[in-house]
Amino acid sequence: MATSSSRPVQGKIRYGAPNHESKIWLFMRLSGLVMFVTVVFHLLYMHMAVGVENITFDNIDERWSGPAGVFWRLFDASLLFIGMAHGMNGVRFSINDYVHNRILNFLLTALVYGLGLFLIFLGSLAIILGAGGLGRLFTSLTG
Amino acid sequence: MAALAASIYRGISYKGAEGQWAWILHRASGLGIVLFLYMHIVSIFVAAIGPGPYEWVHKTLYTSPPAKVLEVFLLFGVLYHAFNGMRIIIIDFFPALGRYQRTIVRIELVLVVLVLVPAAIITLRGMF
Repeated sequence: MATSSSRPVQGKIRYGAPNHESKIWLFMRLSGLVMFVTVVFHLLYMHMAVGVENITFDNIDERWSGPAGVFWRLFDASLLFIGMAHGMNGVRFSINDYVHNRILNFLLTALVYGLGLFLIFLGSLAIILGAGGLGRLFTSLTG
Repeated sequence: MAALAASIYRGISYKGAEGQWAWILHRASGLGIVLFLYMHIVSIFVAAIGPGPYEWVHKTLYTSPPAKVLEVFLLFGVLYHAFNGMRIIIIDFFPALGRYQRTIVRIELVLVVLVLVPAAIITLRGMF
C-alpha cells in the first residue's frame, strides 16, 4: 500500500536518488551516443575506405605502430571496452527477460560476463603488445 | 526456455506494429553484434601472434563468398542498432515526441536504407 508521500505530486513525478539500474540506463544511452560516432566510423572506414580484403597483418601493424599509433590503439581500446560493456549488459537484459529460473539466470549471466572479461583481456593484450607482439614475446622468452 | 517460446508466440500475435518490430529488431541485431564481436576479438588477437596465423584466420573467416553475404547482415545490424538506439535516446529525453513514434521509426528506416544500400553494393562489388 503506497503512502501519500510516495505518490507522484499532481503534474510532477517525484524522483528518488538514482539507483544502480538507473545508472546503467544512463550508461547505455551515453555509451550508445559515443559508439554512434566511433563504431559507425570504424565500420565504414574499415569496410569502405580500407576494404576487408586489404586488412592484412601489415595494414594492422602500420596503423598501430605508425605515427598515429597511439591514436589508433586508444581508439581500438575504446571500441573494445565500451562495445563489450554495452554488449554484455544488453545480453544481461535479454537473459533477465527470458530466463526466470534464478540458478540458470545466474549461471548464464556468469558465463556471459566470464567470456566477455576473457575476450577483453585477449583484445587488450593484442592492443598493448601490437601486431606480432605476442609472437615476439614468446620467441624472446624461449630464446 | 518456455518463457522464450511464449514470448515469441505473444510477440507474433501482439500486433504492436512499428514500435514492437523496432524493439524486436534492436534485440536481435544487438545479440547478433555481440556474437560477431566474440569472433572479431579472437581474430584480432591472432594478429598479436604473427602474420601467418592472422592472414589464414582473416582469409577463412572474412573473405569467402558466404562471409561477404554475412558482412551485409553485419552492416545492416550495426547501422540499424545505431540509428534505432539514437531514436530511443531522442524519445527518452524528449518524451513529447512519443506521439509521432510510428513516423519516427519510418524516418529511421529510410536513413538506415540510405546508408546501407551503397555500403552493401561496395561490399558485394567484388563478387560479380
